[in-house]
Amino acid sequence: MKTLVWAEVVKLAKQSKTYYALGAVFLIECLIFITAYYQGSTILDVLLDSLKQSFYFEGTLLNGNLILYIVLNGLWFNVPLIIMIITSGILTDEYKDGTIQTTLLQAVNKGSFIGAKYIVAVGFTLFIITFMLLSSSALAYSIFGKGDLVVYLQTLNFFPAADAFRRICWAFASGAVAMLFYSVVSVTLAVWIKEAAKTWIAAALFLIITNLLLKLDLGITIANHFFFPKLMDTWQAFFYNEIDWSSVWINNAVLLGYGVLLTSIGVWAFRKQDIG
Amino acid sequence: MLLGEKLSKTYPSGKVLDNVTIQIAPGQIYGLLGRNGAGKSTLFKILCGLIKPDTGKVSMHVARAKPIGAIIEKPGLYPYLSAADNLRIFAGIQGLPKDKANIVQHLIKVGLPVDRNDPVRNFSMGMKQRLGIAIALLNNPEYLVLDEPFNGLDPIGVASLIQLIQQLAFTDHIGILLSSHLMVELTKCCHFLYVIDEGKMVNAGFTNQLIQDHIQRFSIAADNITTARAIRNYQPVMGMNDVKITCPASQIANVLQALITEGIRVTACTPELTLEQLIKQPTI
Repeated sequence: MKTLVWAEVVKLAKQSKTYYALGAVFLIECLIFITAYYQGSTILDVLLDSLKQSFYFEGTLLNGNLILYIVLNGLWFNVPLIIMIITSGILTDEYKDGTIQTTLLQAVNKGSFIGAKYIVAVGFTLFIITFMLLSSSALAYSIFGKGDLVVYLQTLNFFPAADAFRRICWAFASGAVAMLFYSVVSVTLAVWIKEAAKTWIAAALFLIITNLLLKLDLGITIANHFFFPKLMDTWQAFFYNEIDWSSVWINNAVLLGYGVLLTSIGVWAFRKQDIG
Repeated sequence: MLLGEKLSKTYPSGKVLDNVTIQIAPGQIYGLLGRNGAGKSTLFKILCGLIKPDTGKVSMHVARAKPIGAIIEKPGLYPYLSAADNLRIFAGIQGLPKDKANIVQHLIKVGLPVDRNDPVRNFSMGMKQRLGIAIALLNNPEYLVLDEPFNGLDPIGVASLIQLIQQLAFTDHIGILLSSHLMVELTKCCHFLYVIDEGKMVNAGFTNQLIQDHIQRFSIAADNITTARAIRNYQPVMGMNDVKITCPASQIANVLQALITEGIRVTACTPELTLEQLIKQPTI
């Protein structure tokens, strides 16, 4: 298994599209920074003018913490879509190039082969989220500096500068669990669909439906709590004044459970499938 | 011995293999002839364990970690990696040594240049076939299965590949199964031929015997052949540089003898066996 995982890492590192994905994430960050730099102050001033007259804020409101929060909102659609495209490609490219046949004609276990794909998809997702956190933090703080964070979630929530970064880091960590779920979904879709373009469409559709279901009241209490779309926004919990830690841990554990279940289904299906 | 017995496979589009039996012995070269869509690739995939037959079984007596090396339909390579990196990846996943000396040895074995570091997407079809064979040969398989290995190759590439295949069978004692819809290439290098049509094995036998049993046309090149009396009874069709005659294999020696007696110097006599003949005159 170790050699298969290493081979997957080498293949991912040697493909230009991996760097396009990193570039895309970085480009989105840069666009956020540029927009915020030129228009952010004006918009915030209009929105928060009255509040500024009543409260004292440390630093400017348009600061690195707010920018990081905006970057975090990429976890709704942009980032998972990029992740799903790359991670599904880990398998669909093998079908396209015929290398799946070549690999399975070697002395390689079919289950280990697909298992290694899932492991690398998970590793790549964690790498992307870490890259996002590090690159956006470095740029956001160096360009916009530190300051208090104001977030509107049902009501305006204020976080002192020191507390804001801690919450942002936790949110990235929790968001990573959601992204892991999406990456596992994309590899599982690729097991069945096999073709890259069709898998991308299915992945985008899955993402849209998940986001729609997140907002929908399903009418059943347990479904409203534990159906996977309802768990995708757990990272937002860190931007309420009181963090509901038990809910955060439970939601992420359940989401990881969904991931393990999907991985098991994908491995089982792949082992049963004919190749070719 | 690699043995596929009574193999059948049906897809939603229809039955692609119907009760097919095939066997491959070490050190021998076998050819599988058939038109496009006859079921060759499906049979190969079943033999290699990539797909499961609906009925029948594949058995082999091997003691090696990798019983079969194969290229099916096209050599599956990572186009963005160099030849050496492709070999390194496929060697690595099997726990084989992937140091430079080993990789170079595999490249040399199939006649690939050792100093090319560009991605294999730049390679010619012949070079890709060779690299595919090098990968198939990793981990020392007992059998080698090559599906349409001559596709996209020029005549020099075909000759060179045939030489490599013969070397692998005779020197390394590997049992080899080749498929093609090109008769001439297979008859040049195979000990034994199988003929498949519409999913059924319609003919099988030693190559020489099949040629002898089915050949009905010969191409003869000779000086002044147009004036020869010896070929008049064999429906001669004059070509630019040869004449084609319809004649059973058992009589060709007499025809050639008669030509020589007439004083005609024969420079070539080539049997023209077509796939259609092997399909239309089944022996099994």
